[in-house]
Amino acid sequence: MSNFNPKYKLYYQGEWDESLFAKCMTIVGSRRMTDYGRRVIEKIVPQLVQAGWTIVSGFMYGVDRAVHEATLACGGRTIAVLGWGVNWQKLDDRELKLEEEIVNSGGLLVSLWEEQVPTLWTFPARDRVMAAIGHELIVIEAGVKSGSLITAEMAYKLKKPIWAVPGPITSSVSLGTNQLIADGKAKIYQYHPLGPPLKLRGGNPQEGEILDLISDQGLDVSEIARRLGRPASDIGSELTMLMLRGDVEEREGKYFVVK
Amino acid sequence: MLVKIKSVANVGLETTAIEVEVDVASQGFPGFNIVGLASKAVEEARERVKTAITNSGFDFPPKKITVNLAPADIPKDGAAYDLPIAVGILAASAQCSEKSTQGAIFFGELSLDGSLRHTKGVLLVGLYAKNNAIYVPIESANEAAVVDNVTVYPVRNLRELVDHFQDIKKIEPLKHIEIQELVIDANFEVDLVDVAGQEQAKRALTIAAAGGHNLLMFGPPGTGKTMLAKGMAGILPPLSSLEALEVTRIYSVAGLLDSGESLVRRRPYRHPHHGVSPAGMVGGGSNPLPGEVSLSHLGVLFLDEMAEFPRSVLESLRQPMEDGTVSIVRASAHVSYPASFTLLAAVNPCPCGYLGHPRRECKCTDKMIRKYRSRISGPILDRIDLHVHVPAVEIEKLDSSAVGQSSLNIRNQVILVRKIQEIRFKDEKIYTNSQMGNKHVKKYCELMPDAQRILKLAVEKFDLSARSYFRLIKVSRTIADLDNCDKILVNHMAEALQYRQQI
Repeated sequence: MSNFNPKYKLYYQGEWDESLFAKCMTIVGSRRMTDYGRRVIEKIVPQLVQAGWTIVSGFMYGVDRAVHEATLACGGRTIAVLGWGVNWQKLDDRELKLEEEIVNSGGLLVSLWEEQVPTLWTFPARDRVMAAIGHELIVIEAGVKSGSLITAEMAYKLKKPIWAVPGPITSSVSLGTNQLIADGKAKIYQYHPLGPPLKLRGGNPQEGEILDLISDQGLDVSEIARRLGRPASDIGSELTMLMLRGDVEEREGKYFVVK
Repeated sequence: MLVKIKSVANVGLETTAIEVEVDVASQGFPGFNIVGLASKAVEEARERVKTAITNSGFDFPPKKITVNLAPADIPKDGAAYDLPIAVGILAASAQCSEKSTQGAIFFGELSLDGSLRHTKGVLLVGLYAKNNAIYVPIESANEAAVVDNVTVYPVRNLRELVDHFQDIKKIEPLKHIEIQELVIDANFEVDLVDVAGQEQAKRALTIAAAGGHNLLMFGPPGTGKTMLAKGMAGILPPLSSLEALEVTRIYSVAGLLDSGESLVRRRPYRHPHHGVSPAGMVGGGSNPLPGEVSLSHLGVLFLDEMAEFPRSVLESLRQPMEDGTVSIVRASAHVSYPASFTLLAAVNPCPCGYLGHPRRECKCTDKMIRKYRSRISGPILDRIDLHVHVPAVEIEKLDSSAVGQSSLNIRNQVILVRKIQEIRFKDEKIYTNSQMGNKHVKKYCELMPDAQRILKLAVEKFDLSARSYFRLIKVSRTIADLDNCDKILVNHMAEALQYRQQI
């Protein structure tokens, strides 16, 4: 923790391990995550974990939580910087479960306070801590007035490398990230697919065709059926088989290739 | 002089005989009283009958008149006793022959000018009358004309009726109407071929119509959920004679048959607004009338924006969905109406509606989404066999040359599958795959080993409950039937898994 000299005490839950803080990547983003944001997280987090980064984020729903979950899913360790006291107990079941998983997987829950209730000013304070813990920062999706930009501002003052994931100029949650790039405060985060993009694992040509089609974007059954010119009923049953085999997954009606 | 006239009372779908006793006393102070648990509407018959008789050119006897509606312990409601009371008074005051009024049933509401008005429940009178003659308002008479072995006299007004009894001018009894000729073959308000894309949802509708499965569609606003639901009406098989009669009975009691109409000609399709009250949904009132669930009997009940319905209304659907009938208990009556409907529901994925939308971001917080979804309780979701996503469609991407199936085509498939089920369940008391109990599932759903294997796999992977396990088998049965396949193959099961519960 050479570069991190806090003026305040930090409270934590979990097993304290200095090595956690050796190489930290803070990833922040909007609560209103889009489909694109989720895809980005699922692509980049496993790579970062593999490269030995500890992933730091803010435990809020949206991008932050997806980052924690993606890290846990690929066996990484993660530090959640809470916007409330470590012992504040008003969380719901899902949040409690995530807390538990983070701690069980060797990660930490960190906070500036012990019993503090979340309120307007606690979040900027948390953003500062996140910026300080991370050696580098990635902003995935951010609106124009958002906590993610506060974190970026702090990291900029601390002279840490900042990366931003560009997004469509029409999306309100990409305005902030695009602005960071335009202002020269952040560099574009480049994604390099690992290895050959996708090996076709379909058991037969039809399944291979489907996997090809959804290899870089999620599509719904009707859309796949339309593009392949085949009945929706057949496509549906093939997708189920692929899903049971673990090759694709479904979210909100769309099918994605698993990594 | 005392005259007894026959009439009936409808309580729910039950019809009971009522004897209208009219006494015109030769002595006593002039007056007109009705006794026998008469409601306000029946009480007011006094004024209608009195005026109608005078305006028809008869004398209203200035004597002590007592009307008793027997048996006296059944509550009587509605204006249908006007006609028997008027006929009783005319007969008792010797203005028409008493003998010719005997044996027939009289039923109908009078207007002040002596003509008869459209009255609800005439079909039930016809069904009850069996081999008797009935005298009913001309506007409602067609309802009873579909019943076999009943002589139906359509009555225009009191004057014509008296002429009939006095043999001055006979009223022609109505000709028997064949039910099957009236049933409208199909109703293509929305042809599914006109709905852009959404092939998966259309497939789910086909399965729902073929097997009588309940269906839940979820997706962002404006993707065609409502239109798809409307298209459902066009792919349902036509009503059989027996079914048409069953549905018409309910509509007759509810007074929802138009005047001159004799039958509900097509499968009901009801779409109540989400402001509906529990009584409006399942039925109610002091003399309980059928609610939306009964009005959609043998048809479709469509709940658009299902999560906006009050919880109490949704929960009240549980019993009818389970039993196919609904019992309404009130202080004065205990009534059962049939309510065997296919539930079609549409919900948005979140309060703002844009969760998972390709271009618009969702503005809802996590909590709001969970709260919104929790409005539809587990037990209700558990009774819905098919769940399907109706995603946003990018219109410009739609290829107009790729034409889907027309409603007529789909309907023919549906009819075939219904036939298969009819034969399969001829010894059981059920009609569709969705109604199968666990013992039927064991008996009629033979899973090929492959299908069995992926079902087991799916139960583990998707964490399915025992109930959804059976539900999946039932759905796969219908899919196999659509394929005209006796056994359930692996691809049938795999497709059924597409429609598993997801929220």
